[in-house]
Amino acid sequence: MNDSSPQRFSIPNLRGPNNEGILALILLGLIIVMSLLNPVFFSVSTLFAIVRSSIVPLIFALGVLLVIISGGIDVSFAAIAIFAGYTTVAAFGSGAFGTGLVGAVLLALAIGAALGLINGVVIARFRLPTLIVTLGTQGIFKGALLTFVGSRFIADLPQAIAGLSTTNLMSVATASGRAYLHVMVIPAVLLCCAMAWMLHRTMFGRAIYAIGDDAEAARRAGFRVVRTQILLYVLVGMTAALGGLIYIIMGRSASPQNLVGTELDIIAAVVLGGASIFGGRGSVLGTILGVLLVQVIGNSLILAGVPSAWQRAAVGALLVIGVGVQAVSAKRRRRRQPSADGPDLTREAMTV
Amino acid sequence: MTGLRQLNDDLGTRTSELIERLHVSRGTGRMLVLLVVAFVFFAALRPNVFLSTLNLQNLALSAPEIGVLAIAMMLAMLTGGIDLSLVNIANLSAITMSTLYTTIHGSNPALAEQLVPVLVLAGLGVGLLGGAINAVLVAYVGITPILATLGTMQIYNGLAVVWTGGRTLYGSPATLTNLGQATVAGIPILFLVFILTAVLVALLINRTPIGLKIQLEGSNPMAAMYSGIRSRSVLTSTYLVTGLLGGLAGVLFIARNPSASADYGASYVLLVIVIAVLGGTNPTGGFATVLGVVLATLTLQIVASGFTALRLSAYQYAIAQGVILILVMIADQVTWRRRRQRRPRPAALAPHS
Repeated sequence: MNDSSPQRFSIPNLRGPNNEGILALILLGLIIVMSLLNPVFFSVSTLFAIVRSSIVPLIFALGVLLVIISGGIDVSFAAIAIFAGYTTVAAFGSGAFGTGLVGAVLLALAIGAALGLINGVVIARFRLPTLIVTLGTQGIFKGALLTFVGSRFIADLPQAIAGLSTTNLMSVATASGRAYLHVMVIPAVLLCCAMAWMLHRTMFGRAIYAIGDDAEAARRAGFRVVRTQILLYVLVGMTAALGGLIYIIMGRSASPQNLVGTELDIIAAVVLGGASIFGGRGSVLGTILGVLLVQVIGNSLILAGVPSAWQRAAVGALLVIGVGVQAVSAKRRRRRQPSADGPDLTREAMTV
Repeated sequence: MTGLRQLNDDLGTRTSELIERLHVSRGTGRMLVLLVVAFVFFAALRPNVFLSTLNLQNLALSAPEIGVLAIAMMLAMLTGGIDLSLVNIANLSAITMSTLYTTIHGSNPALAEQLVPVLVLAGLGVGLLGGAINAVLVAYVGITPILATLGTMQIYNGLAVVWTGGRTLYGSPATLTNLGQATVAGIPILFLVFILTAVLVALLINRTPIGLKIQLEGSNPMAAMYSGIRSRSVLTSTYLVTGLLGGLAGVLFIARNPSASADYGASYVLLVIVIAVLGGTNPTGGFATVLGVVLATLTLQIVASGFTALRLSAYQYAIAQGVILILVMIADQVTWRRRRQRRPRPAALAPHS
C-alpha cells in the first residue's frame, strides 16, 4: 500500500512510485529525437493528432487501470463499450428516445453499468478468476449485441449526437493549414481527474488498492471486498460505455464488429504505464503516459517512414523491455537485502 | 496436543488427496457427460444434417488445430502460467512454410514438393524458436508469463504483419494439402495427428520426470523449490514444448487451408483458454488432464457445428460458449464450497467469508 501513495514519494524521488518519471523521460526523449529527425513532427497539428487518437484508448485504459489495481484482468470492456455505444445509437435511430445528448449518455452509462454488474456479481460472489469470467462475458456480450440488437453498420448518427462529431474545442492556424483539437478531449480530461481523485482521496479508491495488494488482509482490515468489487466492475462498465459512445461519435459511424479484439493493446499500454499485473500498484498519471507513449510511437513510425505494421511489434518490444527491466531490478533488490525475506535468500542461493 | 496436530495434518493430507483425485476425474467426467449430451442433443434435433459423414468429417478436420493449441495452453497453465502468443507462433510458422515453399517453387517446382519434410521441420523450428524466446523471458529474465507472452504476442503478430504486408499468402505444397484431406478408415489424418500429439503430451506429463516436475512447480512453486526442482529448467522446457506445439498448429493450419496470414485465428487465443479451463485445467497451476482438454475441444466443436446445423449464427455460438464457461465455473465453485462446509473445519483454517 505504501508504494502506491505518491504524495509521500513524489517530491524526493523523481522516478515516481510506478516509474512515471522514467516513462516521462522516455516520452520526452522520443519527442526530442523525432523532432530533430523530422521538423514536421514538432508541430501543433501532430500534438492535436496524437491527443485525438489517445482519447478513446485513454478512457478504456482508465477502466482497465481500476481492474488491474484491484488485482484482476478485464478483457470484456471492449465488448461492453461497443454494446453500450451501438445500442444507444440504434435506440435513438429507431426513434425510441428523443432526449438529446444527455439522454444518449445516460442510456449508454446505464447499459455499461448493467453489463459491468454482471461481471462484478459473477466475479465477486463466486470468487472466480477475472480473466476467465470476462473471457466468457466478452463472448456473451458481443454475441448478444449481434444477435439481439443488430448487426447493421450505421453510417448516419442520430441528430442528438451527430453534431458533436465535428465539433472542435479550438483550432490553431499552422503553416500547413488549420489544426483542430476535438471537443471530446474534455470528457477524457475530466475522467482522468475524477479517477485520480477517487483513487487517492476516497475510501473506495483506497479499498481498491487494498484488495489488489491482498484481498484477505483487506477483508480483515474491514473493507467489504465483495461490495467494493461489484461496484468496481459497475464503474468499469460505465467507463467502457462512455469510451464506446465517444468512439462512435469520433468515428461518425457505428459498427457492432468494432473494438472487440483490441483489449490486449489497451492492457499493454496500462502495464507499460507502471500498473502491476499482481494488483495494488498503478496510477492515473502512469496510465496517461503509457497511452501517450504508444500513440507517439505509432505517430513517429509513420513520420519516420517505417510501415505502420511495425507499430505492434514496437509496442510489444517496449512492453517486454519495460517489464523485463522491472523484473531484473526487483531480483537485484532482493539479492541486496537478503535478510528481508528468508525464503527468497534460499531461492537465490539455489538458483544461482 | 501432538495428537491433535497429528489429526490435523492427517486430515489435511487426506483432504487434499481427495480433492486432487476428485478434481482430475471431475474435469474429464464432466466433459464426457457434456460431450455425450451435446452430441445426442444435436443428433436428435437435426439427424440428417448433423450426422452426415461430411459434417462429422468437417468436425474432425477443424478440431485438431484448436485442440493442439489448447493442449499447449494447458501445459503453460499447468505451471501456473499462460501463453498468449501461441496463435501468433502458429501463424509465423505457417507464414514461414508458405514463404519458403513459394521461393523454392519459383526456381524448381519439383524440388519444392520433395522438400515438404524440410518445410514442416522449418515450421516446427519457428515454433521452437518462438517458445525459446518466451522461455528466456519467463524463466531467466523473470517476467510474469501473462505479461511476457502478451509482449511476444504483439511482437510475433507485428513481425507477421510486416512480413506479409498484411496480405494472405497463398502457396503451400500440394503434398501437405493432400495429406490434410486424406483419411484413414474414414478418419482424417489431421485428427490422428491431434490424437497422437495428445497421447505424447499425456505421456510426457504423467510418465516422465520432467512431467512430474512441471506438475509440482505449478501446484506449489515453493515446495517444488525446496524439493530441489530447478524452476528455471522446468519453465524453459515447458515453454519450449508449448512453442513446438504452436509450430505444429501452424503446420495443421496450412495443411487444412493452403494459405497463411498474420491474422488467421485471431479469436483462437481466448477460445483456447476457454477450452483448457473447461477441460478441468486449474488456471493457477497444478491440475490438468490432457483427456479433459481433448474432450472439451470436441465438445465445443460439436456445439459449434451443431449450431451451424440448426442454422444458428456464430454469434449465438459465442453466447453459448460464454454461458457454458461461466456456468461450469460457478458449478465448480459451488460444489467446492458445499463440500468444504460439510466437512468439520480444522481449527487452524480461518473461516473464509
